[in-house]
Amino acid sequence: MDENVIKVENLVKYFDGRCVLDGINFDVPQGCIYGLLGRNGAGKTTIIRILLGLEPATRGETSLLGRKSTRLPAKIRGQIGCVAEGHNLIQNYKVSRLIKLCKDLSLNWNDGAFDHLMETFRLPRDRRVRDLSMGMRAQLNLSLAMAIDPELLILDDPTLGLDTVARRQFLELAIDIIQQQGRTILFCSHILSDVERIAERIGILAAGKLVVDCSLEELKTRVKKLRIIFPEYPPEDLYLTEIINRQIQGREMAITVANWNRQKQAILETFKPSSCTEVPMSLEDIFIECTRPDSEPIEAA
Amino acid sequence: MQIRIDNASNRPVYQQIIDQIKRDIALGRLIKDDKLPTVRVLAAQLAINPNTIAKAYRQMEGEGIIVTRPGAGAFVANLDSSLSRTVRKKLLTDVLERIAVEAYHMQIDRQTLLELFNNAAEKFNVPARKG
Amino acid sequence: MLTLIKREIRDHVVYFFAAVIFSSILISISLTPISESRQHYRAVYGLGVALTITAIVISGFFAMGVGQMYTDKNRKISAFLSTLPVSRSRILIARIVTGTLAILTLIVPQLIVTIILLRLYAPPVPVYSGFIAEVFAGIFLTAFACYCIGLQAGWSSSSIVPAMGGFGLTCILVSLILIKGFGLHIIVILILFIIASLIRIRHLFTSTPL
Repeated sequence: MDENVIKVENLVKYFDGRCVLDGINFDVPQGCIYGLLGRNGAGKTTIIRILLGLEPATRGETSLLGRKSTRLPAKIRGQIGCVAEGHNLIQNYKVSRLIKLCKDLSLNWNDGAFDHLMETFRLPRDRRVRDLSMGMRAQLNLSLAMAIDPELLILDDPTLGLDTVARRQFLELAIDIIQQQGRTILFCSHILSDVERIAERIGILAAGKLVVDCSLEELKTRVKKLRIIFPEYPPEDLYLTEIINRQIQGREMAITVANWNRQKQAILETFKPSSCTEVPMSLEDIFIECTRPDSEPIEAA
Repeated sequence: MQIRIDNASNRPVYQQIIDQIKRDIALGRLIKDDKLPTVRVLAAQLAINPNTIAKAYRQMEGEGIIVTRPGAGAFVANLDSSLSRTVRKKLLTDVLERIAVEAYHMQIDRQTLLELFNNAAEKFNVPARKG
Repeated sequence: MLTLIKREIRDHVVYFFAAVIFSSILISISLTPISESRQHYRAVYGLGVALTITAIVISGFFAMGVGQMYTDKNRKISAFLSTLPVSRSRILIARIVTGTLAILTLIVPQLIVTIILLRLYAPPVPVYSGFIAEVFAGIFLTAFACYCIGLQAGWSSSSIVPAMGGFGLTCILVSLILIKGFGLHIIVILILFIIASLIRIRHLFTSTPL
């Protein structure tokens, strides 16, 4: 099997003449935990739907576990666990009937693991799916996805609707999965602190483009926010490459810059600032900077 | 062992783990041959990707701060006092720099500052010389 | 596959009930004249009525086709099943098999009763057996054709109005059969129509985003 479990090449998608995805490229190698971030409506769910073959791409190609998304054979599908946005379970079935359906149609079902999850989440089996709370539906969906011992897990906002304790339980569940070597996870979330805990690589989707695609550690060390104070007004012509964002307030200029190095430091110094301090940025801060409408994508160093 | 991950910090998570373990060692909370929790246990406890913790442990082993014994786990290494002393001096330097900045803004001059410091050191029995 | 079929049947069991009820009604219609008179031509008369009514009833399979596809879209059944290791083709095949079973539930008892009655009351002229085969093949194919129209109408449209167009087509088809009667040429036309419909349904079902 190819090294990359998920491959996205030049993905373009138009909805009603509107460009939602404008040339997306990224790969997720086996065993990687990839966090896909983006604001609501950025296109994360669209990418996932195209990956799973639920929606056709306008241009470009995507593949999962070595097979094209448009032609995923049943055997490969059986190795992919997915939790979709809105948890599309069959609403009017009883939970027990739904479980039996999944069990009968799955290729390898881990009864022990599934029962353990049902107990942990305390999910009732005799209620109809539509009578469960949103959080319980999310947990049911997760349990069903995990019960098939998937090679690849695709999670679209899996903690939506979960309370604090349930969210923590989900995190612990995810970490348990990670401990079993070789599993690959692609997930989207708005809760950046969760993403920071478990993701190894991060992708940030904004304005139809993947403005960030690198490891979490790299992202934090390469993206810096600097607070520069000038004796008089900040120069108009301060041209540093890879400035993601720039804000000017009086004599102070705050720039968010990628791949800060000695060269850039030297260039900055020629403009003779009176002080230059680094402002620590959390993942949330970086995310907000990168998804501003006027920001630039970060290139690989 | 209590480790707290600060999400607002710009330091990578694995680095934060290393910092806190080093700090615990420097402050004497962890001593030679103390057993560190396994990667698995710590990952579950902190709800962090175990690969991150594994990375922290690997780096610390590389720096000689911990040793892993096959089948037994990770243990605090025999640190010579100079290494530990360096870490301690750095930690104190960070705190002193913050005080210096405050003094500057409050327009307290260096002489007054030294007087205040000596009073505090006196109050808490900080010995005058090493040894 | 069996799981899918069982699921489909369980979800649409109401059509099977309807088939059984209609089947019983039709059989009793066929059998009533016998209790009244022992003369063979009167017995066969009941059969004739039953068969004509059958021809009208099978247009109901249009409703079944629409119903199956509509509940799928409404309750996002295929969307969910797609996350499991089943291909869309298999879901469709299970669906069509279920429809076929419902049609057979209606027709087969009728066929058995007809054969028995004709054996008992009519002279064993070969032309009769050929006649039965043609009639029932025609009935089955017409029912299946109505079903196919229903499947297409149910999947492609999200509101009632276009579905009505399909119903109109069904009525035209059935009236044509009633007027022209069953014959080999009708059977051939029906088979061609069904093949074309199935190809279109398969294409529609496997290519729409879920």
